[in-house]
This record gives sequence, C-alpha cells and structure tokens, in this order.
Amino acid sequence: MKLRLFNTLRGLGGLFGATLVGLLLIPGLALVAAPSASDISAGLEHPLFMPALLLSLRTSLVSLSLILVLGTPLAWWLSRPGGKLTRIVETIVELPVVVPPAVVGVALLETFGRRGTFGPLLDSLGLAIPFTEWAVVLAQLVVAAPFFIQAGANAFREVQPDTLVVARSLGASPGAAFFEVALPTALPGLLVGAGLAWARALGEFGATLLFAGNLPGSTQTMPLAIFTAMESDLKLAVVFALVLGGVGVLLLLGLRSLPRLLGRSAFRETDR
Amino acid sequence: MVRLLLALSIVLGCAACALSSGEDPRREVVVFAASSLTDVFTALEGPFEAAHPGLDLRLNFAGSQTLRLQIEQGAKAHVFASANPDHVEALVRSGLADEVAPFAHSHIALVVPGSPAGARLERLEDLPEAQRIVVGSDAVPIGRYTHEVLRRSSELFGPGWRSQVEERIVSKEANVRLVRTRIEQGEADAAFLYRSDLAGRSSLKEINLPPSVQLEADYIHARIASDGADDRAADAFVAFLFSNETRAVLRDFWFTPARHR
Repeated sequence: MKLRLFNTLRGLGGLFGATLVGLLLIPGLALVAAPSASDISAGLEHPLFMPALLLSLRTSLVSLSLILVLGTPLAWWLSRPGGKLTRIVETIVELPVVVPPAVVGVALLETFGRRGTFGPLLDSLGLAIPFTEWAVVLAQLVVAAPFFIQAGANAFREVQPDTLVVARSLGASPGAAFFEVALPTALPGLLVGAGLAWARALGEFGATLLFAGNLPGSTQTMPLAIFTAMESDLKLAVVFALVLGGVGVLLLLGLRSLPRLLGRSAFRETDR
Repeated sequence: MVRLLLALSIVLGCAACALSSGEDPRREVVVFAASSLTDVFTALEGPFEAAHPGLDLRLNFAGSQTLRLQIEQGAKAHVFASANPDHVEALVRSGLADEVAPFAHSHIALVVPGSPAGARLERLEDLPEAQRIVVGSDAVPIGRYTHEVLRRSSELFGPGWRSQVEERIVSKEANVRLVRTRIEQGEADAAFLYRSDLAGRSSLKEINLPPSVQLEADYIHARIASDGADDRAADAFVAFLFSNETRAVLRDFWFTPARHR
C-alpha cells in the first residue's frame, strides 16, 4: 500500500516537473519555428535591427566592465567575516534583485532627472543623463550588478583564509596574496557571476524604457526594439526576439562550459 | 501521503481559481480605447452603467496600435475607439471590425511646460531651441500626426528647421500619455499632444500653431466582429457614445463631439 502510494506520488512529481520543463522549453521552440527564412532576412535587414544590436552589445559590455571593476572589491569585502555593516550592505546589494525594473527606472529618474536629487547639480555642470547612452548603462548597471556581486562573494568565500596566511608568510604582499591566490581560486565563480550580470544587462527593459527613453540608434536596445517592432510588425518582433534569445542561449552555454574549461587549466598549472 | 496529495491538489486548485475572476451576474462590455481617451471614458463608465444596470463596462487603454495588435491576436473586445483611422481601417480590411464612424475630434497641440526653468518657447518656429523634444513612436497615432505637423511646418520653415527639430528628439514613446508625462516630469521641453490631453492640466501650456500647420485628430469607433452573442452589449455602448450625455462629457474633456452618427 505504502509502496503504491509512493509510486503514484513519484509519477505525479515527474509529471509536474515535465510540465514545468515544457513550459520553459516550448515557447523557445515556438519562437524558432515561427519565422520563415524570408521573415528572418527581412528582419535582419530592417533599419531598427543593427543599431539596436550594436547599442545593446556596447552598453552591456560597458556596464559589465564597470560592474567588474566596482564590484570585485565589494564582493571580496562581503566575503570576509564581517559585522552588522556587512549585513546591511548585503541587503542593499540584493535590493535590485527583488525590486521590479520599472521601480528602478522611476527611482533613477528621481535621482538623475532634471527635477531629481542630483538634477540641479548635474545641470550646473552641464550634464544630462536621462535619454542618453549613459542612462542605458546606469539602468543596466543597477539591475545587473547584484548578480555579479552575490556570485563573486560566494566565490571568494571558497578562498580559505589559511592559504592567504601561508602566502603572506612566504613573503607575499597583501596585494600579491589577493591577485595570485584569492583571485585565481575564485575565478570560475566570478566568471559565472559576470556572465549572469551580462545576460541581465543585455535583457534590461523596464528601467531603460522609463529612464533612458526609446529612440532608435540612441537609447533603443534590443529589448526596446522588440517592444517597438511589436507595435507595427509582429514578424519583425519575432525575428528580433529570436536573435536576442540566441545570444542568451550562447551565453548560457558559455557559462556552463566555463568552469570545466577553467578547472582543467587550473590542474595543468598545478602539474607544472 | 494522502494528506500530502490532498494538500497539493488544494494548492493547485487555488492557483487555478485565483486566476479566474469572481462571477459578476452583469454582462461585460469590453471597450478598447486609445490612451488619450483614458479620462473621458473613465468618466463615462458610471453614467453608462447607471443607464444599463445589466451591463458591466470594462475599459482597456493603450496606444491604438497596441490595441489593434491585441485584437488581431484574439483579445476579446466589443468596441474599439482609436485615435486615428489607420488602425481601424486595417482591422476592417482583415474582417475583424465593422461599423466604423468618427465620434469625436481633437487638435494636435504643441505643448511646453507652464513654468520652465530654462528657455521659454513662444512660437513653433522656435522649436529647435528646445533642448529635448519627446514624440510618439512611429506606430502610435500621435506619432503619425506629429510627423504630419513637422512635414507641414518644414514647408513654412524649410527642411533645415525640420532636421534641427529631429536632432532634438530624445525619445519616442508608445502612447500619448507617456509623452505627456515626459513634459510633466520636466524631462522634455516640448512635445506634441492632443489638445484634449491638456484638459485640467494647468502645468502645461499650449503654443498656437500657424493655420497651415493645424491638424485635426479623428477619434473613430469600430465594432469588433463577434459571433453575435454580445452584439446588443456593443450596440448599447455605441448608442451611448452618441448620446447627449456623452457629448457633454466629451466637451468637458476638451473634445469636440462628432456632428452626425
């Protein structure tokens, strides 16, 4: 009796899981199947396509670079045993993950807009951020940075304090101990975090739309181009979505194989 | 185990019933309306439902191009009120709508903030002096009307004027109310809206346009083709659109009611 119930439950669990996997997979397949070859070539030649793709790649790579430079020290600091301040900073860093991007967009306008907190200051310096490429970068930076910082802090936690102590006792400076011991150990985790942050920056939509506006060639990234295309030509939106989805899949595959590749090269180095 | 299964089925059942809305004995009339009609149609909801106790008016507002797309993709609607004829005509061509007629008019207006911090625009000719101009996207009716206004203006001021103006455009928004928000936020120095978008908005100032540039916007209603079951509900709303009560409300919101049905 018990065994039969257990089997029923297991079957049910399998069915639930398969349903969910289907829901995740089928829309992607439908997207691939939807456009004809002529739709695709028309989409790729559309005047909205190249500017949006290049803008997306450019801004997301700038955001990613900023996140790596600004976020790595923070991730390291968060990974070390800390007190109340560490916990407060941890919570602040997690905020953009739980807050919807639309909220981030409005908040950024309230910060950097003409009537925002820094509006008068920026104005007196002759600077304007909303509706520029910098607004796109800022929106991406805010929503994507937490993914890198969290993954980075977890990766740095794997670094045993003992190894750093040994490195120091062998005469390494603190800087050298960080760059030659801690950073290589945490590198696979840091790269995974960087990949996640890049994917999130590439997909940013809501905050960008509200804070940076939507102008082809200037602030219209791929997700905004999909939104705009949707209003006039569904087929065009499908092709754009397919390209952006493809970039995402490539990123995911890269993320999956990175730790393995890095693991192997790390072995080789210790063999030497 | 049995209890676990029971709990699971309750959770799934609740998830399902939470998604389907509670039953209302009244029949629904679903009206898709252009963003610029948001206030006036919302104001009509009470009087309409009072006049038709058996009907529940459901309103969906967005850019007319978005509403057209939703209808093409099978969204359930009885009446579509569009800010220009293009999107309605496309639906008629594909057999999704019929009984098309204008029910109201407005004018395209050049709008600036009422209390600007920087330079103050006084004339259309000075539009290139605005640092930031926000317009509607190429698909939304206000974007298309704006194109036409700029085309007519360039006949007055020359093509150089137009390219200067276009250099000042910083964003193309999906509907007219988002364009208006950019002015109200202080982020845009000038924008083209419908004159009716200024009703009750003292923080906005309209700049008079030269006669040869002035442009009227036509609000078109269409009945969305259905299988016949809900026709009477749609009839009731369309009739109400041309009632004296509606005409008065339209005027309150700075629209001009259409003369004939």
